[in-house]
Amino acid sequence: MRARNTTRLALVATSTLLLAGCLSDGGGDGGSGGDAGGDGEVEVMYGFANEQSDAFIEEVGAWAEDEGINVKFSPTPDFDKLVRSRVQGNNLPDIAIFPQPGITLDIARSGKLADLRDVLDMDALEESVVPGILDAATDEEGAIYAAPMSISVKSLVWYPKGPFEEAGYEIPETHEDLLALQEQIKTDGITPWCIGIESGPATGWVATDWIEDYVLRVGGTEGYDKWVKHEIPFDDPMVQEAAGYVEEIWTGEGNVLGGQGSIASTAFATAANPMFDQPPGCMLHRQASFLALPGSFPAEVIEDLDNRAGVFQLPPIEAGESPVLGGGDIAGLFSKDDEDSIKVLEYITGEEFGGWVETSGYISAHTGFDLSQQPNETMKEISEIAYGATDFRFDGSDLMPGEVGAGSFWREMVAWTNDSKSMSEALTAIEQSWPAS
Amino acid sequence: MTAISTGVPPTPVKGEKRARKVMGSDGGPGSGQKRAGKLVKSVLFVICLLWIVPVIGLLVTSLRTADAANSTGWWTAIASPLDFTLNNYAEAADRGGMAQAFVNSMAITLPATIIPIMIAAFAAYAFSFMHFPGRDALFILIVSLLVIPSQVALVPLLQLYGNFGLNGTFPAVWLAHIGFGMPLAIFILRNYMASLPKELIESAKIDGASHFQTFWRLIIPISTPALASFAIFQFLWVWNDLLIALLFIGPGTNAPMTVQLAGLLGAQGQGWHLITAGGFLTMLVPLIVFLSLQRYFVRGMTAGSVKG
Amino acid sequence: MTFKILNALIAIVAGVGGALILYYLLNKLVEMLPSKTEERIKPFVFIGPAFAAIAVFLLYPAVRTIILSFADRDSSEFVGLSNYTDLLASPNFRDTLFNTLLWIIIVPAVTVALGLGVAVLADRLRPGPEKLSKTIIFLPMAISMVGAGTIWRFIYEARPEGRTQIGLQNAIVTAVGLDPVVWLQESGFRLNSFFLMVILIWAQVGFSMVLLSAAVKGVPTETIEAARIDGANEVQAFFRVVVPQIWPTVVTVFITVTIGVMKVFDIVYVMTNGNFNTNVIAVDFYNQLFTNGNAGYASAIVVMLMLAVVPIMVYQVRNFREQEATR
Repeated sequence: MRARNTTRLALVATSTLLLAGCLSDGGGDGGSGGDAGGDGEVEVMYGFANEQSDAFIEEVGAWAEDEGINVKFSPTPDFDKLVRSRVQGNNLPDIAIFPQPGITLDIARSGKLADLRDVLDMDALEESVVPGILDAATDEEGAIYAAPMSISVKSLVWYPKGPFEEAGYEIPETHEDLLALQEQIKTDGITPWCIGIESGPATGWVATDWIEDYVLRVGGTEGYDKWVKHEIPFDDPMVQEAAGYVEEIWTGEGNVLGGQGSIASTAFATAANPMFDQPPGCMLHRQASFLALPGSFPAEVIEDLDNRAGVFQLPPIEAGESPVLGGGDIAGLFSKDDEDSIKVLEYITGEEFGGWVETSGYISAHTGFDLSQQPNETMKEISEIAYGATDFRFDGSDLMPGEVGAGSFWREMVAWTNDSKSMSEALTAIEQSWPAS
Repeated sequence: MTAISTGVPPTPVKGEKRARKVMGSDGGPGSGQKRAGKLVKSVLFVICLLWIVPVIGLLVTSLRTADAANSTGWWTAIASPLDFTLNNYAEAADRGGMAQAFVNSMAITLPATIIPIMIAAFAAYAFSFMHFPGRDALFILIVSLLVIPSQVALVPLLQLYGNFGLNGTFPAVWLAHIGFGMPLAIFILRNYMASLPKELIESAKIDGASHFQTFWRLIIPISTPALASFAIFQFLWVWNDLLIALLFIGPGTNAPMTVQLAGLLGAQGQGWHLITAGGFLTMLVPLIVFLSLQRYFVRGMTAGSVKG
Repeated sequence: MTFKILNALIAIVAGVGGALILYYLLNKLVEMLPSKTEERIKPFVFIGPAFAAIAVFLLYPAVRTIILSFADRDSSEFVGLSNYTDLLASPNFRDTLFNTLLWIIIVPAVTVALGLGVAVLADRLRPGPEKLSKTIIFLPMAISMVGAGTIWRFIYEARPEGRTQIGLQNAIVTAVGLDPVVWLQESGFRLNSFFLMVILIWAQVGFSMVLLSAAVKGVPTETIEAARIDGANEVQAFFRVVVPQIWPTVVTVFITVTIGVMKVFDIVYVMTNGNFNTNVIAVDFYNQLFTNGNAGYASAIVVMLMLAVVPIMVYQVRNFREQEATR
């Protein structure tokens, strides 16, 4: 009898404790989750921050208010890892905007992501967006788990506009032109390239982008896809050839500001900035479109971007091709039965959505997007590079297993940059690190 | 706060003989000997200097623009304090919704500090002064759980919380911090209590006090230094915790300061200059806690009062 | 906003109050029992709630982890001991183990020694300077890890030769005419691991100082006076009188720091993510689980960590029993 009383009292005391906590919750948004569906709230989880997040919230929020939909925005640092935990813990958002398709496909294996063929008009979407982009989040059976909301372009070479034009340099059309330009700059007594791959815990990823860019150029989409899926060895002769192009630029005498030895210790975000020194510290820098956002280029350059900075597409090996390596934010749906969530998804992946590009530095995935919404000429040019792509491919390291794409690939590239391994040793080491299953 | 070495009258404890002199207080009555020589002072000075340099670096950087911080060393900026700007603070406070986040941080941290200490004190008392079968084995078990990285528990907990609809609420984080902080709390408190003289408990028993009374009236007061030490650490951990808050509360109306701050850091590392400012904002409360609890570390309140 | 604050207050009061009431009621109930039963049950009432919390938040996940450590990467099939043998055979993991071992050997000893040093030396200052110096040593503990990571970057940052150095260490090095060093990538002699250890030591000495300071102040003056009268100098008095009396606290701090070091995560994760041969066990675990999605390896790593700590605990309990016997 007494024992039972004890238990009961304990229960009462514990529940007061819990009750009190629930009170504190205010909005009562505990337990929001995708599988709840129709809970009157659509939670959108994403990994971008600051200006991007502000602009996103502003545009989607205004639209949702008109539609009478209640949207909860969850900008989440360390997105990749947290979305995994939330899926494993079954605490799902309604919509997740993935920064890369590798993680989307991984999560799709849990069966919790909706096949968007059942939800969106895929044929229309396919027509409208940059070719090849939907393939990224498509599994072996053809199910599509995410649709692009925005894209970014990685195959870009930036240059300091004034000095570049004054010197009479021309934009290269082929790899050969690029090498000729490099020599010309050297003859003029300037170091051609600024290269930096230091990124704290993620040091090395910039180098993987270079390799990918050239694998895409040498192997074409077919070779690139096989390489990414490990249908050919990581150190396939085709990849060796592609890596050779990178090696030629990076290790050539006098090619890189500070020399090859400084590459691994130069922070990627600000590596390009010596371009804007007087006189310029270098003339060329290959990096994605995000460089034009605050935090990378100096504030004065960003304010006058069109006049200070120029950009061209990293040239193909042969003239005529136009392969583009890029990235993008792709939206997946967890709440397949919630109408509001579907509406939000349709909206953010549609062609109309994109007023936020004005401050976010993003590019719409739709080739018919109204470019007048882009805030400056530079972003328009970059958009056109993307829309003119014959082959658009996502960053391959994101699609490889974590051991490689966020591990040995970075690590071995650093080892190669630091001259502690030759390129072929590095590639072989990466091949050996590929997980067995 | 003059308490530290002028020696407040120690808490009266059974067995107290007389007010004791205070070790090493210079200039205190009866000490008559100045022991902080030049050597001691300079050694301490060097250590303190080394320790504070990074903090000053953080402070200075938080007062500079991102471009400035990226182009010259922070120590060069000290020479021209006129260039300092409070923009980073304004922006961090503005974007981070700091007022709301501050309230949330408090609502998370206070219960998550007080509750585990209370629970652990009970358990530590039992491990120190009570005899029961399996005591040592249980203690070893609990303490060997100390090394479990809390990340191990995250996924099972998310599932568990999901069943009770706890995700996104304060109790979700409280409970997690209670659980994760418990082994260390028990470990520290038990070690402290075990160093208390047995006679103390025996004499209380002879006086007819129950365990509960002994615990509240005797052990808790003389354990204040250990309790306060642990309180400081638990407070700091919870206050500065990002991972657990991020996972179980996430961004939104209940988010604490760390979560809001981390949200300022962009995917390519933009916004780190806001982190420096935010880092300073979040530092204020822990400092106040430390300074106000410091007086509990007074000599004489501990075992010495009886042993002496 | 006021509503929010009010709610927070209610939450705090109810949370803390609820826990108090729970103990009070439990105790009352047990006291109603016959005294023999009471004696037997009471210890479990005292440790019950603590144990319940540990069971849910640590024990259950730990048991799960042990089971998963014998299964494959997505926990679908049991693979026996192969996670363990694979890991131990991998040179990368052996490097990780070696690094962790270095951390365990160096960091706790330095942290305790410095903490004790500061505690003892500051004890001799006037109240004002004492408080100031202790606050300074304590400061790093109050900084969140993201903030600390940012500032140490500005100490270790390296720029190519000839450009303005914005990292303090390289500014000093180049000022005396040497070439800049990329500190965090310099893995010869595990130099970069040592630089990471410096950060942890910087952050942790406050902890050991606070605990040891409380212990030092607890040493009765009479015992030291007595030693002096016997002709001992300061140093001798310290080692013969003070140290033995605070030894239990030293051991506690040492073990606590050791355990903290065994699962050191934030610093390495934020600064290098284990690259450049600085990997340690907890970071490896985290990356195996969340980056590589390999639950089997991740679990096996944690189990090895748990096994590694048992000897320390056994020592601790034996020590405790000896103390009891001599008291």
